Amino acid sequence: MNWRIIKIYAFMYRNYIFARRNIFAFFEIIFWPAVGIVSVGLMGSFLDVGSKTLSFLLTGAIFSGILQVTQLDVSYGLLYDVWSKSLKQTFLAPVDHYDYIIGSWIFGIIRGAIVFVMLAFFSRWAFDFFLPPFLIVFISLAGVVLSALIIGMSVNFFVLFFGQRIDVVAWSFSILVMLLCGIYYPVSFLPDFFIVMASFIPLTYFLEYFRTGYGFSPEFSFLVVKGFLLSLVYIFLLFYLLQFAYDRARKNGLILRLSE
Amino acid sequence: MEYIEMKSICKTYISGFFAKRKTVALRGVNLSIRKGEIFGLLGPNGAGKTTLLNILISQLLSDSGELWIDERNYTMEFPMFFKKKINMCSGNPNFPWCMTAQEILRFYSLLYGLRFSDCRMSVEKSIKMFELEKYADTRFDELSTGIKQRLALAKSLLNSPEILLLDEPTIGLDPAASIKIRELIKDIRRERNITIVLTTHYMREAEELCDRAAFIKNGRIFAVGTRLELQNLTRRNNLEEVFIELANN
Repeated sequence: MNWRIIKIYAFMYRNYIFARRNIFAFFEIIFWPAVGIVSVGLMGSFLDVGSKTLSFLLTGAIFSGILQVTQLDVSYGLLYDVWSKSLKQTFLAPVDHYDYIIGSWIFGIIRGAIVFVMLAFFSRWAFDFFLPPFLIVFISLAGVVLSALIIGMSVNFFVLFFGQRIDVVAWSFSILVMLLCGIYYPVSFLPDFFIVMASFIPLTYFLEYFRTGYGFSPEFSFLVVKGFLLSLVYIFLLFYLLQFAYDRARKNGLILRLSE
Repeated sequence: MEYIEMKSICKTYISGFFAKRKTVALRGVNLSIRKGEIFGLLGPNGAGKTTLLNILISQLLSDSGELWIDERNYTMEFPMFFKKKINMCSGNPNFPWCMTAQEILRFYSLLYGLRFSDCRMSVEKSIKMFELEKYADTRFDELSTGIKQRLALAKSLLNSPEILLLDEPTIGLDPAASIKIRELIKDIRRERNITIVLTTHYMREAEELCDRAAFIKNGRIFAVGTRLELQNLTRRNNLEEVFIELANN
């Protein structure tokens, strides 16, 4: 078997053990997404927003759940080692950023898929929510997990650059991104400056694309192409930035401080 | 050229965001380590021993100087193939807290690219060799210090390294556990002809294990040699007295 695949599997295996043994991992895929979808669904029903707008809101809650769970796993790829003080041991082995990022991401996709299935079924049962055609769902979900990869890699970059004191970005950065890309409202509702900022976030395009399935007209054009192209640019850039942060951490001793 | 050559290695730590503080850790260290020997790095706290080891595993970059291993320059980066040949075991080791001893060994075996069947065999062999059978399914955060140390040593041999770095491997251990670890290090040396670089504060440990040793203080190497050479240099009877003599002067 290819050596790289074995190493990627190693990080999937480690994230699986952590997910199995820690209660916070259980809360991440069951409790918080369930609370989110119930709150949003009930609020929409209470405000009597109509089925189309309710679908808009529930889409936001579902995407938020998938994005958060998947990006957390990518962030955990580094953070588990930082919290365990075992970063030096891991980087001593012949691994590079690609191995722990991709291994954690694949495991995150599995957890994100569980969240998606759970929330989609629950929304259908409780709020008569129906998914758009399969292709739209598939492309949008692919976009969401790519966005999660970008957010998780950004968190890892921040941790390798600034140290453990910044690990709170693992939970806050994704919220900020969701706020900008119109998770519960159309992007056009934002002030002009923030619309420009939203146009640089791939998730904006995937959210809009998903909502076209419910008949909403998008703010931007070429949603899928722009979403995937932007994602690829960010992923390449972040692999470069991660290597830069790692080299800097080896120079200033941060790798050792994160291991003591 | 010897197997490991360190030439004029300097390292200064810079801390503080606004007011930069500088701590000089290494001041032009020159060191040669022969293939297959156990080489001791001795010196008081803060002398630069661990900094030197971390430069040797490429987890810390020196400000200047060169690191040569097996006649290749690895000053800036270890290529992947070389990372397979080196490993390290630190005192007070840290591993993922909720993984069991067996899972930790499996995880690191996979990181070193062992195929699944080889990985299983290697883990079983390590557990047996380091007498970890009783603790194989115990989480890392529930292990005693001595067992953690044995696990760290087991982990450091998973890739059959050509160079093994031991950073105070018996620190904080009771005498029985220390003796056990020292026996294991001797076994490793006997069974596999690997180069071991060892830092320790225990001079008896250095006398028992090391072929040669260097004395480091304030980031400088003061003396290098066999136990007898170091004793002759300072006209002392044992390494403990040599240590005190060199540390105070």
